[in-house]
Amino acid sequence: MKGTILRGSLSGGLEVRLDIGENIEEIKVGTFCVVEGRTHDFFSMVVDEDIEAANPRAFYENLSDNPLLNEIIRGTGIIDKVKIQPMIAINREESRIQPVKSIPSYLSVVREAQEEDVFKIFGRPDRTHFYVGTPLDMDHIPVCIDLKRFIERSNGIFGKSGTGKTFYTRLMLCGMIKSGLCNILVFDMHSEYGWEGEDEDETRKKAKGLKQLFGSKVAIFTLDPESSRNRGVHPDFVVEIPYRSIEAEDIAMVWEELNLNPTALEVIYVLQKHLGQDWLHTFLNMDAFAIKDFADNTGSHEGALQALQRKLFKLQRLPFIKENPADDAVERIMQYLDSGMNVVLEFGHQRSMLAYMLVANILTRRIHELYVKRSEKALGGTRENNIPLVIVIEEAHKFLSPDMSRQTIFGMIAREMRKYNVTLLVVDQRPSGIDPEVHSQLGTKIVALLTEEKDIESVLSGVNNARMLRNVLASLDTKQQAIILGHAVPMPVVIRTRTYDETFYRDITRDDGGNRSRPTSAMGHSAGSSSLPGADQQEEEPSGKEFEDLMKELYGK
Amino acid sequence: MAIGEVIESTTAEFTAEARRYDRIPAYGSFVKVRDGNILVYGIVSGAYTGSMDGLSKAKAFFKSLDELKLEQPQIFELLRTEFSCVVVGYEEGGRYHPYYPPTHLGLHLPVEEADDLEVLTISQHLSYLDKTLNSPSGSGEELTAAVIRTAARLQPDPRTYIIKAGRELLRMMNYDTQRLKSVFERVDAV
Repeated sequence: MKGTILRGSLSGGLEVRLDIGENIEEIKVGTFCVVEGRTHDFFSMVVDEDIEAANPRAFYENLSDNPLLNEIIRGTGIIDKVKIQPMIAINREESRIQPVKSIPSYLSVVREAQEEDVFKIFGRPDRTHFYVGTPLDMDHIPVCIDLKRFIERSNGIFGKSGTGKTFYTRLMLCGMIKSGLCNILVFDMHSEYGWEGEDEDETRKKAKGLKQLFGSKVAIFTLDPESSRNRGVHPDFVVEIPYRSIEAEDIAMVWEELNLNPTALEVIYVLQKHLGQDWLHTFLNMDAFAIKDFADNTGSHEGALQALQRKLFKLQRLPFIKENPADDAVERIMQYLDSGMNVVLEFGHQRSMLAYMLVANILTRRIHELYVKRSEKALGGTRENNIPLVIVIEEAHKFLSPDMSRQTIFGMIAREMRKYNVTLLVVDQRPSGIDPEVHSQLGTKIVALLTEEKDIESVLSGVNNARMLRNVLASLDTKQQAIILGHAVPMPVVIRTRTYDETFYRDITRDDGGNRSRPTSAMGHSAGSSSLPGADQQEEEPSGKEFEDLMKELYGK
Repeated sequence: MAIGEVIESTTAEFTAEARRYDRIPAYGSFVKVRDGNILVYGIVSGAYTGSMDGLSKAKAFFKSLDELKLEQPQIFELLRTEFSCVVVGYEEGGRYHPYYPPTHLGLHLPVEEADDLEVLTISQHLSYLDKTLNSPSGSGEELTAAVIRTAARLQPDPRTYIIKAGRELLRMMNYDTQRLKSVFERVDAV
């Protein structure tokens, strides 16, 4: 792409007249380009394209039968125009990245960005700069996300279904785990991050999960040990939720799934107040007389109580809710996290929204409490601050809808937990369902194709020059293309994401010294194992063994 | 060799009488006139053949030219041809300047045809198109088409030259594509 600045404004973007001979058909919206002004380089993104005639009558002259005239007029009388939005500027002398506060002068030359430009803006790949993909049509140049900044805030991954959200999430998880900057807790609804997931590429079929790639750095927890075993996964821990850890707030969150009305929710608070921590178990075991008694004693409505009980019986059907579980899942998770491991919680067949939201909410609430306590102690100087924790939730609009986000722990984390070193990575296909207030708090967004007007609008809320990016968003490919915007990148950028293949596996498992990290099994495979995390991490592996061999040896696959 | 002599001169144009009534430079071709130490270049923009005195008209004989030459050879002696040229630039000290010379041409100076190399030099400066397009003789588009044909024939890549000239012309015409079309309908596709 080559051209010159024709006109423009700071607020409305710049118009570039393409040089004669340039083919507008090859310039895609989202292309990363550089305007060489007199003293500054302006790094910009192509946001729109159109055809303009110096004299509008030219459009109506039929020149199709005269190739010579056609060629004369193309580029002179009728010009191809590209609209670009300057995102950041660099003063050439000082080489300092600045926000755009001026526009390049008339006739400044516009060119496609080159490798060094990309590095200047996004940094070179290293431990904290994670190579996520390449700019459009620049297949060999890595664009990096600054992971340090990424984990500072809650982030979002959005896109229509089938655009590869899971894939982007897996990619970012790999980056974060490899960097070691934070711990990760994934609520893996469809069991696709832990051991292995579906790969939509026909030739590969299976995509390696985090455990396969990072071995001892990742622990798989499961709610459904049978499903895990059927898939050949050896979970590190089977999660069971005790009745007493379910609070009124947790039930309130899944009101839709349990078909509860506002009165029922009020009754739940009454129940919890009178029956204490074991309210749910006690209530579910009440017979008609006991309910009548309770209603009489507390002044609540007997019919309402009975109806509520019938609805709450649904919870009894969830196999992972136990009266007296063998082990405390939260403690176990914290233990793993504290030893620097990352936890993926698989849901197996328990992939109903009810199970997912209930478990995610209960666990997260307690983890949050612990983090808050620790952070306070850290403030008091009695202990070191927490390693940042990133919690991954799917179907986030269920947790963060405008009605919910104010009450649930997730809304709170999205809004303020940065202070306590806990952030969210929300994955969702309907971003418009997420509370705008939460949207505005999301630091970095990785957005794949969205077509719904409302979704586009919500994703772009709080983004500079949002209007300009609208076209870009709506014209992304359905696969392997995403726009990254926000805190962790100096400017919005459209990327073709890395391919999740052998090359990637090799790259991500290589440690910074150039050696592969060892995928050893640190944890015992028995469900509910209480061996301390990291106990046998020291075990030496036979040198030169390939990853695949090791996996076979370890897991007998 | 001189093909004519300047008999009328203004800053923008000059008229020459042809040495022979039937031998004149082609419409749209380049000519040159040496005036002291400058060499003025022009483009032939029109021609006229009539009686010597300019008052009476030639008489029709209804015979073939060969018969006439045999029977009435004297009538050809009474004919004269004038051709007009628009001034496009001049050369001084080995350098071509694509604009009018400081003084207009003197009279009675010999007019010669420009050679190919000179035409190539002049035609690189597309500003000559402005002078032909606005030629005082009126038919600017016709003349422009003719001169583009002349110049293009000598170029190593005529098509590229025509396109380049066309783009320049379109700008001069204030992006009036219809007018451009009327010029280029007269330029044979190369």
